[in-house]
Amino acid sequence: MSDVPEELQYAESHEWLRQRDDGTCVLGISDHAQQALSDVVFVELPTVGDTFGAGDRVAVAESVKAASDIYAPVAGEITEVNQQLEEAPELLNESPYELGWIVAFRPAAEPQGLLDAAAYRQAIE
Amino acid sequence: MLRTPLHESHSALGARLVDFAGWEMPIQFEGILAEHRAVRSAAGVFDVSHMGQLFVSGPKAAAFLAWVTTWDIRNLEPARCRYCHILDDEGHIIDDTIVYCLAPDEFLLVPNAATTDRIADWLASQISDFDASLEDCSAEMACIALQGPDAPRLLEMHLALAVEPFSLARQGDLIVSGTGYTGEPGCEIILPVDAALPIWEALLALGGATPCGLGARDTLRLERGMLLSGTDFDGSQTPLEANCGWVIGWGHQFIGREPLLAQRGSGYAVLRGIQLAERGVPRPGCDVFHAGERVGQLTSGTLSPSLGTGIGLAYLNLEPGTAVTVAVRGKHLNARVVRPPFQ
Repeated sequence: MSDVPEELQYAESHEWLRQRDDGTCVLGISDHAQQALSDVVFVELPTVGDTFGAGDRVAVAESVKAASDIYAPVAGEITEVNQQLEEAPELLNESPYELGWIVAFRPAAEPQGLLDAAAYRQAIE
Repeated sequence: MLRTPLHESHSALGARLVDFAGWEMPIQFEGILAEHRAVRSAAGVFDVSHMGQLFVSGPKAAAFLAWVTTWDIRNLEPARCRYCHILDDEGHIIDDTIVYCLAPDEFLLVPNAATTDRIADWLASQISDFDASLEDCSAEMACIALQGPDAPRLLEMHLALAVEPFSLARQGDLIVSGTGYTGEPGCEIILPVDAALPIWEALLALGGATPCGLGARDTLRLERGMLLSGTDFDGSQTPLEANCGWVIGWGHQFIGREPLLAQRGSGYAVLRGIQLAERGVPRPGCDVFHAGERVGQLTSGTLSPSLGTGIGLAYLNLEPGTAVTVAVRGKHLNARVVRPPFQ
């Protein structure tokens, strides 16, 4: 069974989103996604200041066998990247919702079409 | 999809199964990295029952195999194995295989799963001039590989057997050879389908051997520069191009020899290792650039679990030591041409 924290929002492409009080959002991949990927060995990260549209690829998580694109659920601008992933990509597996966060960004609009925990749980069942 | 006799055990162990050459095979159990490390540091067991088993017997079996492979099998002694290539008339590799000499007039070939039918047909088309017969027993045979520094000890514990590299021993219905696809000590056990599950379970019950899937098998073989049939050669390369001149016994007549003689000494692209000098994961199909020009593409590529760097293979007209770049999602990553095994 995979862990789906109540307080987060989820995309159907298995990213999670945490909206912070300062108006920025944190993005990562779900526990379900990291299990499907298995051992993450490399994470390609964007640069602070990069802008992107809704549905654009903002990062890539790579396992030994495959590369998996990580999409932004809403347009915005990167404000932080998790530099720890350069040295420790396995944080995506070990701590997908905390230490394995991928980027923070300032959304250009209100995120649309995301699932709450109950709906995401249903989607991955 | 075809299933090996160990299929139910794989499912019970939680393996992730994939289609490989028409076989439903475990790609991983616990995880590729853990399995890879287990084989490098202790031992792993692999179900490789998808591999083929072709028996060739008769007074002229050795002469026949010398004609259809790159090695003069007439010189292969009983209880020895030899890695060699099977070529078409143009000298292109149809498949690589290990030939086992079971007796002076009895041999076993182990071709790859995807090419077993093709090899069986090819051998059948060549055998009529020889007093020899061919039998495809692939459906009745299974194969378990036990690999890693602890593998010889585990083999001794379980079967009271020891096999030197490229030698073989027979015990009842079992053929145990000092061969493998990981670059580690160990063996491969070829056995009847019905005998496979008890041995597999017994090897796991010994403790100290981790069940491993095809994912780790691929990273282990690539670190040591071993070729993957259908990937590192696909029917359009010669053994010379595949950097496998050592599989050719020039002193005998064999299919494909004349084109190889003509190629020898000419300029041609050779399968080289590529090692990244910066972070990234090179994949099969990634383009390789030198001095601003595209000079080839990767046939294999992965992150080396042992080294922590990206590694791959590519046919290149460049010498080891040459600086190149590998394009991964449009980014040019610095790399170097190296001579495998990677280190």
